[in-house]
Amino acid sequence: MSKILYASEVTTDIHRLDSAWEDPETFAFIPDKTGEVHGMIEAALAELPPPYRTGHFALLTSGSTGRPKLVFGSRDRSSSLARVLHAHQQSEEVNETVVVLPLTYCYSFVNQFLWARQHDRPLVLTKGLTRPDELKSALTAAKDSMICLVGAQVPLLSEYYDGSVFPGVIRVHFAGGRFPSERLEDLRRLFPNALIFNNYGCAEAMPRLTLRPADAAEETSHVGWPLPGIEIDSSPEGELLFRSPYGAVGQADDNGFRVIGPADWVATGDLGRQLDDGHVELLARSSEVFKRHGEKISIPVVLSSVSLAWRGPVSTYREVDGSGEDGYVLVISPHPGDGDVRKILLTLRNKHARSHWPLRIESIDELPFLPNGKIDVQELGEQVDLKQHWRQRI
Amino acid sequence: MNNHQKLKDLLLDVFLIGESEYSLEISQEDIETWDSMGLVAMAVGIEETFGHHLTQEEALSIRKFQDIVDILSTKGMSFDD
Repeated sequence: MSKILYASEVTTDIHRLDSAWEDPETFAFIPDKTGEVHGMIEAALAELPPPYRTGHFALLTSGSTGRPKLVFGSRDRSSSLARVLHAHQQSEEVNETVVVLPLTYCYSFVNQFLWARQHDRPLVLTKGLTRPDELKSALTAAKDSMICLVGAQVPLLSEYYDGSVFPGVIRVHFAGGRFPSERLEDLRRLFPNALIFNNYGCAEAMPRLTLRPADAAEETSHVGWPLPGIEIDSSPEGELLFRSPYGAVGQADDNGFRVIGPADWVATGDLGRQLDDGHVELLARSSEVFKRHGEKISIPVVLSSVSLAWRGPVSTYREVDGSGEDGYVLVISPHPGDGDVRKILLTLRNKHARSHWPLRIESIDELPFLPNGKIDVQELGEQVDLKQHWRQRI
Repeated sequence: MNNHQKLKDLLLDVFLIGESEYSLEISQEDIETWDSMGLVAMAVGIEETFGHHLTQEEALSIRKFQDIVDILSTKGMSFDD
């Protein structure tokens, strides 16, 4: 039976993760609290086909469907990816990496833990933005350091560290969601010496598919060029597909283990396409595009407009309106001042037809976050302290 | 809050117009968001705010905001303040 390594074991002793990596036996590295999926994880590991019992590792992901699953990576493949990332993210001059996201998150695991191992660089563990003071100390002490962030953290960084400068951070990576291009100036103020990269991928890609320097494009939909060896295609429905020599070799959920073969095209869960110059254009998560009153609604496109009028964190949750039409609720944070919601509404009116407007605008003191720094959309609609500011009356 | 203010708040919300754009003389042609769904939203809002269910004939006769005031005034609501 393969073993399970929990995040808290590693937080207190990073050598536990090193040991697990060096031990041939396949292991799963997962958050401490996995709730009802823990049984699935144990069963998947217990029933792992023999070829996967050594030389592999598994991470837990919510996946594009929101149904948690284990993705299985090959240690050889992921080590290769860490080397490729080193070259393409211009990391030779990086001397250490400060960990802001949980290492159980594939992005952080490969881009930081494996990268640090491969290139013999120190890994500086922090508790991220759950301990802003400690993180500030780590960033202040950083010397030629690399950090990995998700876009939703930027408003918090701006708020917590307003006026601070971290010149020792020379690489800032983004992945795991829309690149916060509207916050680029804030990032440059915080990290004046950093090259900033937008990385794109998914857990099934383990995790990287494309990357681009932030300056390479203004549009957030431009997620860069595929890394060497990665093939990109689109399904007839517009879903972005990939084949990668670094990608997951299998996945397991309640339905058991499924091999991902080298010839298999894998869906990223996003809608997108590769353009003539090779760069990938991302249109939206499959789950973030839906039809309302016959019109195709893209939540990321609407959020991009909202960001012109509201600089704080925003998110949405899906809801069906009284007439059975799909819709969504816009949630802003923190609670707005006089005129803020009106400004958002006027921006929505100027840029989008009524079908694209949210069913309601609500606010919350703080958005609920998952351990990986992403907004917990599943929990968002359940929050008791949501305050309503506006609603459509249809 | 008087009826004028209630109506103004409702119409700003339904059509997403700015305070400075608002006037009772503003007409359907002036407001891009006064589409079929906007009309439905306005009718629902009038019922919620003033307790009057617009008949189809009333709803379709509204060409400018002043027409709403005229309809509601005939139902005994005062907009004199």
